[in-house]
Amino acid sequence: MALRGVWHLRKLVVSYSDWGGSSRGIRAFMDSRIPSFKEANPHLELETELIRGQHPHLKAFCKNNNERVVCVRNMTPEEVLLHATRLRNALGRKVVKLKTRHVTKHLSVQQRIICSSRTQNLPKTHS
Amino acid sequence: MAHRRSLHSLARFFSSHSTVAPGCALKSVASILPNHFSTAAISSSSDCIVPKSDATSWCSSLFSGNRARHFCSSSRKDDDDDDKDEEDDGEESEGDYSDEDEEGARESSDSNSKPKPPPGPVDKVARAAEIGYKVVGKLRPSDKVFKPYEPVYAVVQIGSHQFKVSNGDTIVAEKLKFCDVNDKLILTKVLLLGSATQTIVGRPIVLDSAVHAVVEEHALDEKVIIFKKKRRKNYRRTKGHRQELTRLRITDIQGIAKPEIKIDPKLTKPTKPTVKEQEKVAVAA
Repeated sequence: MALRGVWHLRKLVVSYSDWGGSSRGIRAFMDSRIPSFKEANPHLELETELIRGQHPHLKAFCKNNNERVVCVRNMTPEEVLLHATRLRNALGRKVVKLKTRHVTKHLSVQQRIICSSRTQNLPKTHS
Repeated sequence: MAHRRSLHSLARFFSSHSTVAPGCALKSVASILPNHFSTAAISSSSDCIVPKSDATSWCSSLFSGNRARHFCSSSRKDDDDDDKDEEDDGEESEGDYSDEDEEGARESSDSNSKPKPPPGPVDKVARAAEIGYKVVGKLRPSDKVFKPYEPVYAVVQIGSHQFKVSNGDTIVAEKLKFCDVNDKLILTKVLLLGSATQTIVGRPIVLDSAVHAVVEEHALDEKVIIFKKKRRKNYRRTKGHRQELTRLRITDIQGIAKPEIKIDPKLTKPTKPTVKEQEKVAVAA
């Protein structure tokens, strides 16, 4: 996510195990996809972390000090890349149901306000 | 319908009794056929249709069980369809649906077996234009795209949704496939432009107009749980769904005259003159 051109994802930590079968996909992701992912996102700090005996996951650290963790156990390299891309594209905010799809500070450009007193003084028209 | 059924029964009768003489064929026909068929009518029809010398050949051809009935064309499918017309409408419709389902299954299996190639660059541009946007390029740090508010608005269409936007607004649309975060877009389907003094209505699109936007985010909406239940029927289904959305920030609206922004002199701070610094430098030299 980039707010006014500023990327919100600061750091991505790829945690994996070199022994477990659930980390097979993320190990393949690290061998094949991580170099291209790093080149495409030079602003992003990418780290790899070895956690033996645990399932693999991706940890995202955002500029607003929020963290998001995604478990990627038993996933293919393509699925791991999809999750990494989603973390990079998303904002660090908590996901909340959308109240409105249009956020604006200026409601109207062509304002026409009719005062209540003026409507009372209008002459009655007979049809 | 009764005609055909009766002819079928006749065909079976004569195929089983192959020694029946052609002369007594008509009499036996009269006995088998239902009451509304009169023997006089049959005999007269037979006389007018076929001459007596060819009665044997006519009878054998008429009552042969293996004769195919041809109405419009000689294709086998037409015969099958004709047979189906005799049945009830419900049965006929079920048969058609089953055929259609089989064909659809074949097509779907064929489509599933062959993976679709990714869309080429030309296809991407064309598809994006259909939705209503065009990717211009990446946003660079040197681009000063984010301007202060201008009292101009536009009605823009993205896909099937329309938004009333002005400079600095944020809109959330369905996921735009062919663009990435921090991409500059031009929204091409502008339906209406307006300012404080004028309004331009498009028919249906305003020509020579553009709304510039920047992609801020591609994210998933909050999970919505779809719960289905039928009471007392032991049926319950739970499904989760997260919609993919794209957030855009509107940066500029072009195609309409913008009012000039009057700068109040009271609000602006006067800049301090740098004459004293220049004097100091001259003295030191």
